[in-house]
Amino acid sequence: MLFRILKNSFLKRPKAVLLIFLSITMGAAVATAFLGISGEISHKMALELRSYGANILLEPSAVEGGFLREEDLPKIKTVFWKYNITGFTPYLFSIAEFSAGGKKERGVVSGTWFAKQLEVPGEDSSIQGIKGIAPWWEVQGRWPEDAAEAIIGAALAKRLNVVAGGDVTTIVRGRSQQFRIVGVVTTGGYEEEQLFAPLVTVQSLLQLPGKVSRVLVSALTVPMDDFGKKDPATMSKDEYEKWYCTAYVTSVAKNVEEVMAGSRAKPIWQIASAEGALLKKLNSVMLLLTVLALGASATAVSTSLMASMAERSPEIALMKAVGADRFQISAIFVGETLLISMAGGVVGYLLGDQLAEVISRTVFSSTIVSPLWLFPTAIISALSVAIAGSVVPLRRALLIEPVRVLKG
Amino acid sequence: MATTIIETGGLTRSYGDICALKPLDLQVPEGEWLSVMGHSGSGKSTLMNLVGGLDRPSAGSLMVGGEDLLALSEDGLARFRREFVGIIFQQHHLVPYLTAVENVMLAQYFHSVPDEAEARSALERVGLGHRLKNRPGELSGGEQQRVCIARAIINSPKLLLGDEPTGNLDHKSTVMIMELLKELRAEERFTVVMVTHNQEVAAWGDRTIYLDDGVLVREERTNS
Amino acid sequence: MVAVKLIPQLISWFGIVLVLLRGFPGLRSVVTTTSISGFAIGVSGAFFMFRSLPAAIPFGAVKSALGVSFLLLWGISVAAIYRSTGRRVTISSGARLVNTSIGAGTGAVLAGIITGLVCACRISGTDGNFPKLLFLVLIAGILTVIALAVEKRLPASLTVSPSGMLTAVVALLLFCSSSSLRLDLFSPLSMKVMKGVHDFVHQFMESVLIPDHLFVRSVVWGYIGLLFGKEVGFWGGMIIWFTPAILIALAINFQRLPSVAHIRQGARRRKLLADAIRNKRMLLITPLFSLAIFAAAAYQSSFPSVEYWDPKPEPVTASPSGEIFIPKKGEINLEDGKLHKYLFKQEGKEARFFVLLSPAGQLTVDLDACAICKPDGYGQAEGSVICYYCKTLIPLDTVGKPGGCNPVPIQFTEKADGVAIDGMTLLNAWSSTVRATARVKEGGK
Repeated sequence: MLFRILKNSFLKRPKAVLLIFLSITMGAAVATAFLGISGEISHKMALELRSYGANILLEPSAVEGGFLREEDLPKIKTVFWKYNITGFTPYLFSIAEFSAGGKKERGVVSGTWFAKQLEVPGEDSSIQGIKGIAPWWEVQGRWPEDAAEAIIGAALAKRLNVVAGGDVTTIVRGRSQQFRIVGVVTTGGYEEEQLFAPLVTVQSLLQLPGKVSRVLVSALTVPMDDFGKKDPATMSKDEYEKWYCTAYVTSVAKNVEEVMAGSRAKPIWQIASAEGALLKKLNSVMLLLTVLALGASATAVSTSLMASMAERSPEIALMKAVGADRFQISAIFVGETLLISMAGGVVGYLLGDQLAEVISRTVFSSTIVSPLWLFPTAIISALSVAIAGSVVPLRRALLIEPVRVLKG
Repeated sequence: MATTIIETGGLTRSYGDICALKPLDLQVPEGEWLSVMGHSGSGKSTLMNLVGGLDRPSAGSLMVGGEDLLALSEDGLARFRREFVGIIFQQHHLVPYLTAVENVMLAQYFHSVPDEAEARSALERVGLGHRLKNRPGELSGGEQQRVCIARAIINSPKLLLGDEPTGNLDHKSTVMIMELLKELRAEERFTVVMVTHNQEVAAWGDRTIYLDDGVLVREERTNS
Repeated sequence: MVAVKLIPQLISWFGIVLVLLRGFPGLRSVVTTTSISGFAIGVSGAFFMFRSLPAAIPFGAVKSALGVSFLLLWGISVAAIYRSTGRRVTISSGARLVNTSIGAGTGAVLAGIITGLVCACRISGTDGNFPKLLFLVLIAGILTVIALAVEKRLPASLTVSPSGMLTAVVALLLFCSSSSLRLDLFSPLSMKVMKGVHDFVHQFMESVLIPDHLFVRSVVWGYIGLLFGKEVGFWGGMIIWFTPAILIALAINFQRLPSVAHIRQGARRRKLLADAIRNKRMLLITPLFSLAIFAAAAYQSSFPSVEYWDPKPEPVTASPSGEIFIPKKGEINLEDGKLHKYLFKQEGKEARFFVLLSPAGQLTVDLDACAICKPDGYGQAEGSVICYYCKTLIPLDTVGKPGGCNPVPIQFTEKADGVAIDGMTLLNAWSSTVRATARVKEGGK
């Protein structure tokens, strides 16, 4: 009987039903889209932070134009925190003239390790290099395996108009070296303006044998807390011991600095955490917008339900007069809103999913995969909007006095 | 003498400063057909609402069918209404989007469980066997009032209340409705309290009381 | 602390008492006294069992008690659905006994004993002390009194059928045991199902189909392959897990409504029907609610709530020659890639250590402490262990190597069936490592 009542009431008042359905659909769609995007952003960000392994930058200390020594590198695997250091990569940079197919462009040539087998006495052998430290690099083609092979940043490749398989001649201070391009790399960062070649080749090109201009180290670290931010110089002996044996990025950096002659280690977590803070703000804006949108649609539901309650008060009064108690009255009206909101939730989810994709394509220029939890979220937000929106109208309905309404 | 079904003592109802019903003592024996007459605003509808559990008195005592209506909660009054009382209003109130048979089933649903066959036979009893699937908008005033009667008696109430049930009907329909009610009462043996300002309608009852300005002024027994 | 760890168990106990009180109306005093005394018996029984027997025996006993109660539920549910199809089953004297005070008392005592055992297993394990257990019984008693008060406030129309009561009690028992890894039934059940299916398919194929398997085409093999998937165990387990409660709910749902055709007055007839339907719905609440509890138990079993795998240290002893031998197989499987903690005590000295199979396939034995931090111990997370003191994550493959905050490795000899460690070496390593920061407490944290 309940379903019969609901069915007939829907069929007889399509406009009112449609209005409520639309406001719930809108709310659910907006919630789905925003939550989907913000969820995806935090997901991506978490991935990035995890893969953004390099969190310590080693540079020559003070002196302009100084270099680090390549032979010191294996020592990094012997420091106190050696097991927390998951990888490191040396770089040697120089401005260079590139020419390919008659085109000449200026850019940066960068000598590095791609995946170098590193043997350290007393330690297990390990593979070090960009491949391990920057897993998010997208290489079209393959990684260099030979001394004369190189990969090229996407932006530089575009300027030079080369693709994988082409050749690029690199000229630094009159000396030239020809590289076979085996891959084009997309990183989304300044690396796209560089040409990456094996370290040895670049060292001989620059006539800087055994030299390195910076080292990026990636380490498993403990999140910074207030204790970690303290200046080690002001600590008591006990505190210093605890600080030293806690894997804060600063203490690991200090550790590495100690073994690399003439180096200064800078934790680069500042960058990551600044980025993180920005994204966090963005996320909370998204969340706020979602809550506002849901609130707005709850208000809309409430308003339209109020209107329809006013219109239906004779009906409610009649049901009361015939003997419906408060539970039965609520069952009819709440059931009605819940049914509409279920439908609204499903439609809103489908819409919101599309919306999220459009937004993320146009605003963030990335595609998103909508996570599974969005569906229940959409339904639940639709239901909660419906319930929030129907509290006041329902109370109003339950307060209706049949005598007043039915008076002839 | 039969048992008393309605018993009021000093029953009063006031809305703010306006006293709609001054202290009233009334007894209605079971099975009686009581007509309540008066001008509009005389308090006769107020009396009916009180007896039907639609409204609460301001003072006094009110026993209907052995239940103290003052002691019942909101939901208790609802239960009392659906199990004990059948009400017919002047403006044949029906749910506009439900068919005739569904309107009757609505009362069954609130009372217990709907039973379509029983609802149909109830409508057939009031002579609407051919209009089962019509919505109220497609029925004439007399027909709508007959749906209301079917709905009012579907739960076998002990007490049938009518608030000017024929107020909007022409003479012919009025007679038909009253005949129908008389027939049904003979079968179901419910007590009738009918509010009216029509002398002719009042004459169908066993006893008539006259209210004026909330006071019982006169009482007479009709011998029909 | 005890109470926090036992929250699921205590909630279950509260629910059990509530359901029992509702299920045996008019026997409140019997149910109250017997259930709480059952609880006390269970707790003290567990206490003495842990005192005098190796831990495996009480755990096994509790687990089989839980298993038997689940089987009983299965039996009752099948009988209930059979009866609901309209076939008359002669009500045995046992079923009639249910509503007497003896039946109620027995049921309450049994439920109390099992819950008490589970609670005691959860807190005490090997070294439960008496005050703690007394405290536990006290809390249970308080909860019983609260349940008694709450039950009085529940609406009178909320009735419980005997089968519904059994469902709820078993569901709650399984829920309160599911948070304890060694008492959990759902995971072993799915394992058994998987194994059973594998064995069956294997045998079946071998004996029936292989000799003449021409008609088994590759498509069919594809379907047979499904049976070997790892999902089979899970879904099979789910079916076995939820069926009894569903059957009992169905049995209640199939119950015949009273015959009302002889009542002439429509209103009275309908009123009777409506009352019967409402009564049935009320009876359905308990089994449906139990379904949710079963689901919660299965969830807890599939996703244990421990953030870090941190087993309680198992006490070990050395042989007269001073050698500690830990078998690879047996109650604990050393080579499952999990951290296994042990506690060695000798002459007032003690050392905590763990054995772990590294991802490279090497067994390592290490102190549950590193050279620098306070010996708070380690927990295992995915792919790493964490030092509780400095919260440093240590990659699993470096466990077994000295240095940093890595656990201090211990010399050991690997044998075919286990590992052997010299007791004195262990104690010396521990005391020299721990030195001044002597906060040797069990379990760390």
